[in-house]
Amino acid sequence: MADVASALQKLATYRTQNNRASQETFDRGVIVLKSDVAKTIGEEGWAFLEQLALAAIDVGRTDVADQCLQLLSDKFHGSPRVDCLEGILLEATQTPEAALKYYQDLLNEDSANAAIWKRQISVYRRMGKVEKAVEELSQFLDTFYTDVEGWLELADIYSTCNQYTSALQSLSHVLLLTPQNPFYVLQAAETAYTAGDIPLSIRMFLMAVDMTDADDSVALADSTPTGITVRAWYGVKLCARRLLKDTRLSNSSASQTPAPKNINLIDELATERLRVAYSSPGKKGEIAQGRDELFAWAALI
Amino acid sequence: MSTSAVSLYLDPQIRDWVLFPITLVMILVGILRHYVVILLQSTPKKLSREAVREQRALTRSQILQATAANSPIPPTYYKAISKHLSAAYEAGTYLKDGPPKKGDAPPAAPNPLSDPAAMDGMMAGMKTQMVMMVPQMVIMGWINFFFQGFVLIKLPFPLTLGFKSMLQRGIETPDMDVRWVSSLSWYFLNFFGLNGLYRLILGGENSADSSRDMTASPFAAAGAPQQGQPQDYNKVFKAERDNLEFSEGLYNWVGKDVEERILRKYGKIST
Repeated sequence: MADVASALQKLATYRTQNNRASQETFDRGVIVLKSDVAKTIGEEGWAFLEQLALAAIDVGRTDVADQCLQLLSDKFHGSPRVDCLEGILLEATQTPEAALKYYQDLLNEDSANAAIWKRQISVYRRMGKVEKAVEELSQFLDTFYTDVEGWLELADIYSTCNQYTSALQSLSHVLLLTPQNPFYVLQAAETAYTAGDIPLSIRMFLMAVDMTDADDSVALADSTPTGITVRAWYGVKLCARRLLKDTRLSNSSASQTPAPKNINLIDELATERLRVAYSSPGKKGEIAQGRDELFAWAALI
Repeated sequence: MSTSAVSLYLDPQIRDWVLFPITLVMILVGILRHYVVILLQSTPKKLSREAVREQRALTRSQILQATAANSPIPPTYYKAISKHLSAAYEAGTYLKDGPPKKGDAPPAAPNPLSDPAAMDGMMAGMKTQMVMMVPQMVIMGWINFFFQGFVLIKLPFPLTLGFKSMLQRGIETPDMDVRWVSSLSWYFLNFFGLNGLYRLILGGENSADSSRDMTASPFAAAGAPQQGQPQDYNKVFKAERDNLEFSEGLYNWVGKDVEERILRKYGKIST
């Protein structure tokens, strides 16, 4: 019994942290499922069954997923959430065409079912029907504007088709929806860099730096950049170097973004920050890996 | 006020056969009502894609405006989105039934009584009202018929005369001590006071408490715009264009002087 309790607790933390960890979830979930307590622990039991079903599909144990779905559909007959799970199982076990037909039937009944619609789009993409996927996804986003996931997917599809300007447009909607997330700013900056819009890119990299470093300017000069700040500094350094090398670049922005002034100073600062990031001793006082390479790269002009 | 010295003696049978039954019946009716209301609740009507789109079209411009003063997106993108939205609102692209054709008479303001969708919402309110009114009227009639003029209980604390009309409803004795509570007053005390108990039994989101509904009339909500209430989206969209223009004036890109901010932050240039 203690086993089951600890497994349930672990699974609950996975759920709240949105952690996929399918294999672990599956191993623990099967213990709970065998002990047959899922139905007796009330509300939480249903969330657990949904989680286990998804994990079981992930690891390819569709028999377990079937079992979970059976329990769920007994309790919630005709619930859109269970329908969606059934669709996912269908995708895993049958042809994409069968799944598409299932989704289409559900959408005919309720055309505004966002979850099903999104699954349908993902199936289109998986089948290689990129055009159809983009068309549906645009329509989906026109209806459900606030779906950040959808905008990111659209940007991703455009990027894989080398349509970086369109990807940047989708990302601008993502930025509008979640202006507080530096990861998306970084993604937009990298997309702009790939699209060749260097002035826009360097400004966005700097925005990412501005969002992620500390606010206290006194301690800032001594602090070590970590995490995505380092990546953003890399981006700044890359852009600054290209702008310095080729002055024409600063006037060739597709979005008519002016290149930053003091580009020399920014280049200097980026080099310094990157050096600091790689110079600080690690856990055992060792020097960071790749330090020499970085120093050599940064010294190149 | 020396009458309080002469104590009344209450038959314990009154306690067992009147006081407790009234309380018990009221609690049970409340619980029953909770479940009947759950049964009566109609599932919200499913909207079509077009209707959802119409409903959510306004959030687009609101999201754009929310960050306008410190916008995360560069000017060309901002202007493009703003112009696009403005044009779409003007043309009525987001309207459920498509953009209005030229020469069409402007649609009359929707009448909530003729629109079936609005009628549904109102009927739901009326239904819950009925579920509340009918049993309460029956209980009150029952108490009035069988236990009129009963004195049920004596409060363990003294009260001023002002409480007389509250606690001794149905008994016309000017001299009786205010601590004695009549059957009808006991009913009212329960009526307003059982909410806490329901919350314990049924949880916070219960619909057992009937006194709450007394203040809400099914027609009170009709004046204020609410969900399911038909709105003239065409007008709303047209009005939103002014807001868009206004925030375009406020617009400022975060990245406009970000390099100076960063350099100043790291002490590379003096402030």
